[in-house]
Amino acid sequence: MAILMMNFLFASAQDSSEKLFIEGNTAYNDGDFAKAVSFYEQTLEEGQHSAALYFNLGNAFYRLNNVAESIYYFEKANQLDPDNEDLNINSAFAQNMTIDAIEAIPKSQLVQIQQSIFSLFSLSVWSKITIIWIWLFVLFFLAYLFLKATQLKRIFFFISLLSLILFMITFPITFSVDQQQKNTQYAILFSSRADIWSEPNQRGEIQFVLHEGTKIQLLESLEEWNKIRIANGSEGWIKNANFRSLTD
Amino acid sequence: MNQILTSRVLVVFLFISTFIVQAQVSFDIKVSKKRLGLNERLRVDFVMNENGDNFNPPSFKGFQVVSGPQQAVSRSWVNGMQSFSKTYTYFLTPKLKGKITLDQAQITINREVYKTSPVIIEVTEAVEKPNDPNNIDYITDENIKLVAEISNSNPYLNEGISVVYKLYFRNPISISDVQELESPGYGDFWSHLIKVGQVRVNNKGQYNGESYNEVVWRKVVLYPQKTGKLNLEPLTLNLSLTVPSSRRDLFGRRIMTQGQKTISAGRRVINVKPLPEKNQPAGFTGAVGQFDFDVILDKDALKATESFQATLKVRGNGNLKLFKLPKINVPNTLEVYEPEHKENVKIKLSGMGGTVEDTYTIVPKYQGRYPIPAVEFLYFDPKTKSYKSVRSQDLLVDVFDGPIAGDAQEVAANLTKQLVQASDTAFRFILLDTKLSPIKTPSFWKSKLFWILLVLPILLLLFTFLFKRFVLGRSEDSASKKQREAQYLARKYLSSAKKAFHDQVAFYEALERALHNYLKAKLKIETIELSKDKIESLLLDKKVKAQTALDFVSVIENCELARYAPGRSVSVKRDYEKASSIIASIDRQL
Repeated sequence: MAILMMNFLFASAQDSSEKLFIEGNTAYNDGDFAKAVSFYEQTLEEGQHSAALYFNLGNAFYRLNNVAESIYYFEKANQLDPDNEDLNINSAFAQNMTIDAIEAIPKSQLVQIQQSIFSLFSLSVWSKITIIWIWLFVLFFLAYLFLKATQLKRIFFFISLLSLILFMITFPITFSVDQQQKNTQYAILFSSRADIWSEPNQRGEIQFVLHEGTKIQLLESLEEWNKIRIANGSEGWIKNANFRSLTD
Repeated sequence: MNQILTSRVLVVFLFISTFIVQAQVSFDIKVSKKRLGLNERLRVDFVMNENGDNFNPPSFKGFQVVSGPQQAVSRSWVNGMQSFSKTYTYFLTPKLKGKITLDQAQITINREVYKTSPVIIEVTEAVEKPNDPNNIDYITDENIKLVAEISNSNPYLNEGISVVYKLYFRNPISISDVQELESPGYGDFWSHLIKVGQVRVNNKGQYNGESYNEVVWRKVVLYPQKTGKLNLEPLTLNLSLTVPSSRRDLFGRRIMTQGQKTISAGRRVINVKPLPEKNQPAGFTGAVGQFDFDVILDKDALKATESFQATLKVRGNGNLKLFKLPKINVPNTLEVYEPEHKENVKIKLSGMGGTVEDTYTIVPKYQGRYPIPAVEFLYFDPKTKSYKSVRSQDLLVDVFDGPIAGDAQEVAANLTKQLVQASDTAFRFILLDTKLSPIKTPSFWKSKLFWILLVLPILLLLFTFLFKRFVLGRSEDSASKKQREAQYLARKYLSSAKKAFHDQVAFYEALERALHNYLKAKLKIETIELSKDKIESLLLDKKVKAQTALDFVSVIENCELARYAPGRSVSVKRDYEKASSIIASIDRQL
């Protein structure tokens, strides 16, 4: 009974969120982008999200000329659906609006291969795959133990061994995917202008200046200072900056 | 003869006397002082003790001859000695400061040319009160004033001030000519002279509550460029005056005399305050005054690769020519060229006023919407003594009909191939369909369920293994258990034989030895010769089936046969299997 109730509640929440999403779309189409934003944000407040929702939010903010918000939500959408063509095109439009032009340092081939493997699946899918391999190993090994027919025994033993090897590959990958996600925190700068200092105090020098909409990597923090890195590899300290983390 | 003599004597005498006279001639210059102020007068006397002709005064360069030359001749006889002196007197006023050399004066006395030695006169700045007790000065001091009106002697750095030099005079003085002797320089100021044009006399001027004729001589606008105490140099004028003298003419009217007067004003110290450090905003570029600021775009919708202009315009009053305009910040994909600077500034007594503009030409390369962020212009308002900031509006430029931003190569390729751009380069519409999912999905990785699912199969494997090993193993019937043991034993003994599968002789040797060893171990007998009969009887004693005993013996026989008659076709494998099965059955039966 309780489970049924829960299901029902969940379903109704889902329904109302979708209604809000559709209302947001209507408002967007009518040109009332502020209203669309508020509908979409209500959807988020209900604890529901999707790549399309973030994409639409980014579009609405783009129409409202809010560069930082637009880029923020396009990045969020990109996390959920990295290969969406619409998203990539509109994201490029939003990037056009930013003041800073930062050239990303090229990654080495090794890092590229590693990244492409890591980004094949999300963390939860990786961990599920790990579980599947260990179960396959055990089941086939048991089958091998109990079966009498030599031919089948041999096949099952081979499969179980293969599963074990695959498990031993996927488990560390999952582990490092998790580590990487924890260690690389990205954020979007919301301050319209921020000075980047060489030290976490103002006795140092201003190294460069960033403007809103720039994607920064958070490294460490000291009081109101945050150490950041940008795509071209430059690092520095930023004071009291207004940014929104992409990982929450 | 006598006559000739006397005439000769006379000539000699005359010659001597002229010689004596010539020896005594002197021609000197005397100056009243060697150091004087610009507004003082210098009296120069040229004195000679013999009358001369062709007096040639020096050029008096750097001076103006106020009066002269006046000649004075005096002659006197004292005790039969005649003395003569003739003096040319000049009154001079200096025209400029510095060391001025009075050149040599010349005179011809008795056909000889005499010269004075040059004299160096040092002219300093105008002194407060010229100590020339000229009568004119007393009248003029009363009735002529030169005033420098300074609008603010305590301005901020870069705050405009004005200096107006005014000449006041009143009856009974009239001025016939004015000469500017010293023009003040304004070293630490940005200065601008406002042209006065024709000198106009205002008859209704007021000075200290009394009516005067007023002449505005000069107007200057100054912007101090340094803080601290700055000196203003004075303005010095030389006036040609008509002054009534104390003498009267036949009809009782006063006789007017011409006079010269040097007058100066404006030696002032301007104390320039620095702009307050406190609350000075970052990015302040030194604008002081009251301003209005805006950024103007000439178009807000255009095609890519066309150009538009953004004009940063400052309008107002203040040091417009003396500060830099803020820079415009535009999105990175816009190409911005160096700005064109335009000034339209009028300088009035109240300071600079007008507009200053920077016009940027901007070319967008890609289509899209480009925000032009607000530009902040900061200035110091000396009236409210505070910093003020004016922000322009946020502007937006819509660029259509162009390549989409992204890969430059892609754009280049498109351009060279003249591909018709499909509309897929336009800004995409929102997605209408979605499948929402909860944001806070608990992470499966490292969750309890994850660990359970990870450890469970391992435990399962372990338990099954143990279960199979102990529980199943115990409940198995003893026969099969024994069989397994026998198999184990057979394998143990036959292993050496198995190794020699390929070599028939070695195999059978090993097999026979193995069987013997097995029997010895099984029946616990010491190393004694085991004949086939004895084996059979021993086995039968141990209640082994007769058939099995026979089989055992037959295998041993086979071994012997194979050893002693090699080459016989035998099946090594069959014998091996037979041996192991016999061992197993003996084992079971024992």
